[in-house]
Amino acid sequence: MAVHKGRGFAAIEYPTGMNQNGDPSQAWIKVKPDGRIDVFAGTSDIGNGSKTIQSQIVAETIGVPYEWITYDNSNTDSSPVCTGTFASRATFVAGKAAEKAALAVRARILEIAGKELEIDPADLEIVDGEVLAKGAPQKKISVSDVAAAATWTYGELITGTGAQLKPYASIVEPETGKVDLSPHSAISYASCAAEVEVDDETGIITVLRLWQCYDVGKSINPTLVEGQIEGGAMQGLGLGILENCYPYYPSVEHRGGEFGSYLTPGMEDMPQIDTIIIENPSADGPYGAKGIGEMANNAQPPAIASAVFDAVGVWVTELPITPERVLRALEANAEPRRIGKLVIFDEELSINTVGNGPVKLEVLV
Amino acid sequence: MKAVGARVPRYDGVAHATGRTEFVDDVRVPGTLWVKALRSPSHHADITRLDVSAAVAMKGVRAVITADDVPLLEYGHLSALGIPADEPLLAKGEVRYKGQPIAVVAADDEEIAQAAVDAIGLDLTEKPALFDIRKAFDADAPRIHQWGNWYTHFEGGMDRRQIRKGNIEDAFDKADVIVQGVYRPAAIEHVPLETQVSLVVPEANGRLTIYSCTQALYFSMGVVAAHLQLPLNKLKFVGGTVGGGFGGKVDTATETICALLAQKSGRPVKWRWTREEEFLCSSTRAPWHMEIADAVTKDGWILGRKMLTLHDSGAYSRFSPYGLTKHSFHHTGAYSIPNLEFDGYVVYTNRVPTTAMRGFGVTSVSFATETHLSRIAHELGVDPFELRLKNANRIGDTSPNQIAYTDPSTVPTILAIANALGHKLTPDYRAMTRDPRSGDLLPEHLVAQIGSTEGH
Repeated sequence: MAVHKGRGFAAIEYPTGMNQNGDPSQAWIKVKPDGRIDVFAGTSDIGNGSKTIQSQIVAETIGVPYEWITYDNSNTDSSPVCTGTFASRATFVAGKAAEKAALAVRARILEIAGKELEIDPADLEIVDGEVLAKGAPQKKISVSDVAAAATWTYGELITGTGAQLKPYASIVEPETGKVDLSPHSAISYASCAAEVEVDDETGIITVLRLWQCYDVGKSINPTLVEGQIEGGAMQGLGLGILENCYPYYPSVEHRGGEFGSYLTPGMEDMPQIDTIIIENPSADGPYGAKGIGEMANNAQPPAIASAVFDAVGVWVTELPITPERVLRALEANAEPRRIGKLVIFDEELSINTVGNGPVKLEVLV
Repeated sequence: MKAVGARVPRYDGVAHATGRTEFVDDVRVPGTLWVKALRSPSHHADITRLDVSAAVAMKGVRAVITADDVPLLEYGHLSALGIPADEPLLAKGEVRYKGQPIAVVAADDEEIAQAAVDAIGLDLTEKPALFDIRKAFDADAPRIHQWGNWYTHFEGGMDRRQIRKGNIEDAFDKADVIVQGVYRPAAIEHVPLETQVSLVVPEANGRLTIYSCTQALYFSMGVVAAHLQLPLNKLKFVGGTVGGGFGGKVDTATETICALLAQKSGRPVKWRWTREEEFLCSSTRAPWHMEIADAVTKDGWILGRKMLTLHDSGAYSRFSPYGLTKHSFHHTGAYSIPNLEFDGYVVYTNRVPTTAMRGFGVTSVSFATETHLSRIAHELGVDPFELRLKNANRIGDTSPNQIAYTDPSTVPTILAIANALGHKLTPDYRAMTRDPRSGDLLPEHLVAQIGSTEGH
């Protein structure tokens, strides 16, 4: 009886935006008389930080400090359509709508500043809340003064709208799954290595360390990106070794209706996490960003399953890899069936064994 | 100061950390009624008697609703995408999972509401239940829906999601080794800190203000509007700050029922699920059953993949057809596999309907395919990093849907982790990039699958 260490690895990809697209998001912006910016969008913030991210995008795009932004996603009377916060789309799709609205506002600010400064708007830029003549920054007017002029001199409301919608990608050949255009807006990529310790007497797995690399296109807020990656790692650890609604699936017996009988990861389960973020910009996302939200819990379960094999030499392919499953696998010590060039694992789990209907996985050699 | 790329503080971080963020259950309106539901005690049964008269007569009970009170009883979560509705808001005639709502009560407090629920007369005739998706196709399987035990409305009227690419028979003929395995990730709970909750206030002007924890304000507004047959200007959704969702709050779980009870009673109505209801009656991540057979060469090229997926949808479709389609589009993972034969089924069982959860459709396939690749590497005696680098998708390679990849980062992310681990790779692998294939990395079996990246 001993504790064994093992390492495993996985590489994954994940699409940004709803599969097959067709999921609009919209934003509108108005400017207060002192230049402060009100952003309205219908994007729910589920803890992913979309209020923050969209505020950053608007501040950057217009050229004003982040602190100038008020973000309102509180209700459907004032905020326009957002399909929703899912499909890793809040930064990519809804953030793009916010960027477009901000570009419209920026253009209007430059036009009014151009009138005030008597300079062609094309020769102006906005830096940190001030409109400056390119190459002659002593000629300038603050965004606050531009907004005041719009309100009190020109009788105008500075406003802008933006919408992002990639058309629905139809499946044109149901038999093959061929689509008529790209069914996603961008793909994010990640790799993960796991180091585990497996006790062959108790079956208990301890995840000691995770090394993770994510391509997020552009890290608009590194703190929030790291939060998604580390939070996702913990959720992936739950998927990998702890959580299960039906402990003896497909049976519905022993279903836990409370935290005492449903194990989620806690702080004591948290391994050392080493995170590498790379930025391979997307063509269509705001500032090159891609989605990071969902994929963050996808790479750990296979990396852990491979690490368990590396540690104790058994493949457990039903999740979660509980102590009971580890011990049963060690006891069975199953070998795949080999017929010619065919290597068949897990036959006892296959529909070919369990079911007697027409649906099978048929591999003839 | 540059805003993009900066570690600016979370917009609502101080409010969250100091407990000052107002979530739905923090909103208190005088005169609010509280809701409890009569839920099915059976996994599968016919309802032979439903009598709410005793509940209606109880002191403090202000409204009771059954299926007969809903203007549009069935509205599919994805009706807008052509996925037919199959789930009643409240059970009518039959219950298909334990915990399915049958009748709801709004009363002066939660204790009265629960007492009224307990007073509802319900007789059921038990029917055999189906839990194992592998047995759903058996001739003697219990039948869950009148049309059968799996979804039948994919494009072209197909009863499964199919992917076909290249020549699968040729790939299996040419393979040195065929590795076959079965992968079964579990159903899990979303476990949000904030359980499902909503508050609906009937306004003097006839509108309904709906305080909601939805992840998708406009989506949920569409669902409520459809069930109540109201135009959108009669509804105002208030929300946008959610106490944890992870996909579970894309389901519109409580809003429609509170809106109906508010209409009927003329009073504000709040329904907040207990933790036990959240665990046992809210939708879960789906359990998946995946079988893979990969045709590989002894030096580690993946020539072809056959795959069968069964997606345990629970009793109703909800988002499952969407999830399975997404799953099928990503069943090669981050690799180029030129010959494919994928069949996937959305299968019904008598368990709580499953729904979207972080990574929907792809978390399952990432587990299956990546564990499978590690097995293949071990079988062949090939380094697991090199097996992946070799088959990694490159610019111009095509996806299962025959769309060219324009910006894959598989190679750089794998190399980053190999470097972090100090994993030894041969110089050829260490020098790999994501650039289009050529030379030794464009073997004959991949020539035909290189696509144009223009316009994608």
